[in-house]
Amino acid sequence: MATDKTQHLQQVLETHRMAHIEKLLDKYKEKRQEVKEALEENYKDKIYNPINSGSYAKHTAINIKFDLDIVVPFKRNSFDTLEEMFNDVFDFLYEKYKDVAEVRKQKVSIGIIFDADDNGDEINIDVVAGRELNQDQYTEDHNLNLFVNSQYGLLDEKTYIQTNIQAQIDHIKGKNNERSIIRLLKIWKTTNNESYKSFFLELITIKAFDKESISGNLWDKLKSVMEYIKENITKDNFTLKDPGNTNNDVADTLEDWEKTNLSNKMSNMISNIENNSDNIKTYFPINEEFEEEDENKGQYGLKDASIVAPSIPNKSQQFG
Amino acid sequence: MKIINSHKNVSLEYEEDLILKIESLALKHYPNEFGGFLIGYYSDDLKTLVLTDVLSPNEYKSHRVLFERSAEGIKEKLLELFELNEKRYYVGEWHSHPDASSMYSLTDLNAMQSIAESETIRIKNPILLIVSINNQKLKNYTFYLYDNNTLFEYGRK
Repeated sequence: MATDKTQHLQQVLETHRMAHIEKLLDKYKEKRQEVKEALEENYKDKIYNPINSGSYAKHTAINIKFDLDIVVPFKRNSFDTLEEMFNDVFDFLYEKYKDVAEVRKQKVSIGIIFDADDNGDEINIDVVAGRELNQDQYTEDHNLNLFVNSQYGLLDEKTYIQTNIQAQIDHIKGKNNERSIIRLLKIWKTTNNESYKSFFLELITIKAFDKESISGNLWDKLKSVMEYIKENITKDNFTLKDPGNTNNDVADTLEDWEKTNLSNKMSNMISNIENNSDNIKTYFPINEEFEEEDENKGQYGLKDASIVAPSIPNKSQQFG
Repeated sequence: MKIINSHKNVSLEYEEDLILKIESLALKHYPNEFGGFLIGYYSDDLKTLVLTDVLSPNEYKSHRVLFERSAEGIKEKLLELFELNEKRYYVGEWHSHPDASSMYSLTDLNAMQSIAESETIRIKNPILLIVSINNQKLKNYTFYLYDNNTLFEYGRK
């Protein structure tokens, strides 16, 4: 029997909800708070209040792979160089957590992977240290410079990148349609071992909704976004402006051959699913761990982890 | 009043006054159908839905065996309810069946399916209330819960 594509995708989203891993998420939040407090205690008036960012803050998280991010905004005069700031935060976190976690330098962040607890749960927290662009301006403009520790798209090693985390979070606020598609593409990327950056998938999905008329059921929308990626990603003038810094083109994080590859993958996925609807299960699998729980769990169902947005009927309906 | 949906093992609560309000709206439009939006909130554990009010559509078409409501202007009202300290949400639909039973029709099921699949609807189990009326009074009413392309009736505890 053919698979109802929209119904399947709804179940895919449902079984990948963060609400299924509430206890683990609580552990993450507890650790994040602990790390935040340690940073505040150590850097005192050198920093502004650390903020939560990343997929959980943007409501695009999926329960099979996620971390919690902390952005630490340093004051302009706290360090002479961004590299000094980056290394100082690394040294501090390393010293503090070396016995209970692996602390490592990443591209623009410092990753803390806490050793598995008695239940086998590993907690990942990413710390992004940024320095305000202009003295005393952070609370006004939220602009930060980040140190780039290693190859990051076209940027050379040991350089810096300007960004605005708040603008990135605001960019996706209220975009429920886009969030569902972003989560589906992240599920595809994770379960099919694709290496595309989540931020790239997020921006290209939002751009697709901006540029095209995307409507219909969940499959119609996903297909329209995949078609947009297929048609546009290889175009010479195609850009994906980082809302945190319009000079930063996130499309540049892919080489030309990777863009062609992505376009071909989208094309194949669409035709394979249209030819045989069962193929949708390969690209977008249900998280079986939570499949049964979903069926009859004694709760009214929500499409999001909680009521983050009201339901708004948007078209006329006939009743008989 | 508290009723149970045994398919989903969830409950629904409402005051008799709300039914009286709906009855009055339905009778006012007899012999044509009438309906609107159901408003309420969920308990923290999502096991109970409490109905608090109804909103009538700004625009509608009303016939003996057909009711079409528009969504015009409802967004603003629902956003206002969402902003309240005690948030209230759109939770489903109601309409009347003049001189007919409170059993849902295929048109009703299709409407609920379309609603549940809409991306602007963030609940998975919208509620449908059908009130059976004659020219004088409400005869009967039935609440249904939508889940996976099916409507499941609520029953008394």
